[in-house]
Amino acid sequence: MEKRRPQLSLDELHQLKWLLGGGLVLLSVATVFYLDVDAWTLMALTAAGVLAVLVKPEWPARVPVIVHRLAFPAIVALFVGDLWRTGEILPAIVRLDILLLLYRGTSYRQKRDDLQVILLGLFLIVVAGVLTVSLVFAVQLVLFTAWALAFLLVITLTEAAAPPVPARAGDPSGPPAWTRIRWGNLATRVRAVTDWRVVALGTGLFALVVVISAALFLAIPRFQLENSLFLERFVSKKARSGFNETIRFGEVTEILQDDSVAANIDVTDRSQIPATPYWRMLVLDEYSNGTFKLSPRLRRATFDNERTGAFVRGSRRPRLGLPVWTFYLESGISRYLPLLGPFELLRFTTIQNYRAGQVAGLVALRDEPVTMTAYRVEGMLTGDTVPDPAFTEFLAKPRAAGPLQSVELLRMVGVGEADRAVLRQAVAEITGGATLTVADFSVRAERWLAARHSYSLQPAIPAGPGDPLVRWLKANGGGNCELFAGSFVLLARTAGYSTRVVTGFKGGTWNAYSSNFTLRNSDAHAWCEIFDPAAGAWRRVDPTVGPVGAQEEVRGEAALARRTDTSWSARFDSLRVFWYRRIVNFDQRAQVETLKAIKDATEDSGRKLRERLADLFRGVRDWLAQPWDVRRIARILAVAVAAAALGWGWREYVGPWWRFGRRPGRVGKADPVRREASRWLARFGPLSGRAADEEAVHAALLRLRFGARETWPEPEAVFRQARRVWRESRRRRRAAARLT
Amino acid sequence: MSDFLQEAQVTAAKQALDRLRAGMQASIKGKDDVIDQVLVCLVAGGHLLIEDLPGVGKTTLAYALARSMDCPFSRIQFTSDLLPGDVTGVAIYDETAKEFVFKKGPVFASVVLADEINRATPKTQSALLEVMDRARVTVDGVAHPVGAPFMVFATQNPVDYEGTFPLPESQMDRFLMRLQMGYPQPADELEILRVARMSYDAIAVKAVVTRDEVIHLQALATQVYVEDSVLDYLLRIVTATRSEAEFKAGVSVRGGLALRAAAQARALLRGRDFVLPEDVSELVCPILAHRLGLTRQTSDALEERRLVVGILRRILAAVPGPS
Repeated sequence: MEKRRPQLSLDELHQLKWLLGGGLVLLSVATVFYLDVDAWTLMALTAAGVLAVLVKPEWPARVPVIVHRLAFPAIVALFVGDLWRTGEILPAIVRLDILLLLYRGTSYRQKRDDLQVILLGLFLIVVAGVLTVSLVFAVQLVLFTAWALAFLLVITLTEAAAPPVPARAGDPSGPPAWTRIRWGNLATRVRAVTDWRVVALGTGLFALVVVISAALFLAIPRFQLENSLFLERFVSKKARSGFNETIRFGEVTEILQDDSVAANIDVTDRSQIPATPYWRMLVLDEYSNGTFKLSPRLRRATFDNERTGAFVRGSRRPRLGLPVWTFYLESGISRYLPLLGPFELLRFTTIQNYRAGQVAGLVALRDEPVTMTAYRVEGMLTGDTVPDPAFTEFLAKPRAAGPLQSVELLRMVGVGEADRAVLRQAVAEITGGATLTVADFSVRAERWLAARHSYSLQPAIPAGPGDPLVRWLKANGGGNCELFAGSFVLLARTAGYSTRVVTGFKGGTWNAYSSNFTLRNSDAHAWCEIFDPAAGAWRRVDPTVGPVGAQEEVRGEAALARRTDTSWSARFDSLRVFWYRRIVNFDQRAQVETLKAIKDATEDSGRKLRERLADLFRGVRDWLAQPWDVRRIARILAVAVAAAALGWGWREYVGPWWRFGRRPGRVGKADPVRREASRWLARFGPLSGRAADEEAVHAALLRLRFGARETWPEPEAVFRQARRVWRESRRRRRAAARLT
Repeated sequence: MSDFLQEAQVTAAKQALDRLRAGMQASIKGKDDVIDQVLVCLVAGGHLLIEDLPGVGKTTLAYALARSMDCPFSRIQFTSDLLPGDVTGVAIYDETAKEFVFKKGPVFASVVLADEINRATPKTQSALLEVMDRARVTVDGVAHPVGAPFMVFATQNPVDYEGTFPLPESQMDRFLMRLQMGYPQPADELEILRVARMSYDAIAVKAVVTRDEVIHLQALATQVYVEDSVLDYLLRIVTATRSEAEFKAGVSVRGGLALRAAAQARALLRGRDFVLPEDVSELVCPILAHRLGLTRQTSDALEERRLVVGILRRILAAVPGPS
């Protein structure tokens, strides 16, 4: 009897290929979710098109031939037009890729077209992976690889079954026969022809490759791939936090509308987290024409000297006992790095081009990073003051050389005379004509603002002539943090205090699952810093009232408890942090420790095994060395006889019952006797030219496999006979082979 | 009779069939596979359609079978003016008895050769096909059994279609099997030429089994065991023909039953009381091919036969057998 495993027909292979190809296209275009490319319509169109032709595979045959003839010129024209319109090469290439996938996914494919689908999909996956460096990418790549391997296997099988493939794109002769797909039947057939042992072996090998790759990933040094490629100009996803180097009043901004994660922050000592942390990113010191901006002087002083290196030395002196902060800044947030204040040392994972203002405690990268950027900060000040000895000295000696910021600029109100009069009036109301300390003025000004203005996400600045901030001050309407901060600066400067606006993040949440701080784009905030000559430092003032304004001060664990986030989104965010902790490496210590731990565990296991073997050997030797007398020999013989009896009983009774007797009445493949007979028949193979004893046992096996149960010979006897005959037959064959 | 065949019964059946085979082999040279299939058809209680050119031994085959069984044989040459009564018999008025007496037609024999069946009108064809189905002739409300065993050898020429009435597919379904004789091998033909014999009446065949033995063999065949996985295999083949786009319609339930009966007969012929998957697969083409029509047009009937057999072989290759 022939025992060859059945194969899928050519039509069924085509159907399977169609399904796998469509699935691969869907898997590939899903990457658009992770890219900030304007391709949503294309993606939806591709997904809908591919799903439609998966359900109705005969539809592509209805497309007129002219469409296929014009398809590629049209796609090329669209690409050129796209490039001309946007001027960005990579987004245009991504859209071109999706267009090609759409066309290939919805028309009948030959072998080269199937391979093209794999390459096009791979391009999308790799681009998305390099740009996001996320855990999703790893999962998607593994999934894509497994899927593509299965697809390639089916392509190869199809080619082997029929070298010339008749179905061509645009073939006018109608849909090919294989398009009459019944998915249920196909699934049954695939299940029937699948050799599950091969599938299990293949899956095991694939898993092994993945594990080895993961081990290599752990072992090799990290590197920033995007720094080596042309992709750095291609921002993967832009946040809407609205950070830039100016604040223009009167514009409608989208601040507070984006809840996505801006940064995750690990800290070694959670008790040192301030009750309400203010993450400084940029200082805006100049106000004119309704706009706060970074003055050219401060820019020169702070950001002019670009440096290249893996770490930044700050203005702070080394001090023990301060926690280490690790920041994971998401892509598209800003090139300015959030920091709590001046620091001792800031370390990057790799060499960066940066500009650092040590006094202001600011660090900016050359470009906005295209991937997550990690940096570790040591010795960072977390209080509400930023010491500025140079400015203190300048105030004390106005003619000292090289002032970092001029007093004039920091006290420049930058509004017209009429508006200035309004501000003076307001300051008179705040101070009551008295000369106040910085702290007193700050408190009174905050109260004055809070009494007249409420917090609002939709600030209303009345139209009219003059400065927008002054108009808002007069109008008693609602305002956001920028308006409060800007107004405070104008009031303080009118009163003669050096003041500036600071932008960054305020607060954040404590992720209970991964034990880290999470900043969201909705935490973006603006506040002020007013110089306190008595302290020689800039003192933080947050004049904003309402939900993001000054809140009740709670410190330590209580502060964390209030900020703790245990929501489902926090669970997902924690996965991201775990992944970052795994891939981010500031030095090789953790990596070396991991490898060392693996090595130690392996050596330890080997040593324990050797010890156990040595113990066993010693035990046997001692046992043999004991005196041999009649009683001992008799005892050993008794144990041997008992073991032999047990073995015989198992073989004769328990074994057959265990294998064949437990489930009587079951038929077909499930019947253990029939299954065993089937196995032996497969082993014997075709019977032509066999010896008489083989024929006899073959006939008995056939009866066990296909005969009525009531007519069976004793199964165990037949199988024993089969085993014996098989061994003899094998011996005969080997002897014959030696002779020849 | 027990539900399962005894070894002695199977041995006796095999011996009887071996004798029949040997008897026919003495008259029909080089056609052992055809003889085996005829015996399968006989034991399964079916009727046979032979499509081949004139003069390749169809009549001799039928005659040899009839003589080997010691059963009556008759031959009906179908022509366009042949009437149903010419086949089944007619009731004629007996002057002496003063009543109508049924005069049996040539169909009242154990082996009936219906030569060139497609030359008769559909009405006459239907008369014969009714007898094949019911094994009796009904005239004036009276049923006349044709006796047992009863086997019709119908022949038709697949090439010459001029002035013929092709059998519709529904009637083709009544035949258990369709065979082609084909030309013998040169060595066998030389042997035939050596024995100069122009008439099949001159064939000397000794009866080797009795009519009762044949009836007994047919009864035994129905008791041959078919294991569930083999039945499942058979069913999957039949189902595959129903979902095959190239066929107008798949094999009927009757076709599936015919395949099962034929497989049982083949197992008995091989001396087994159980059916193997190969019993099924070997008989798929002769049992199922004539029940299937193609959706597309073909140049001639031979081309259609070839295509149908090709598709059936593809289905056989695709349907996995019981492991």
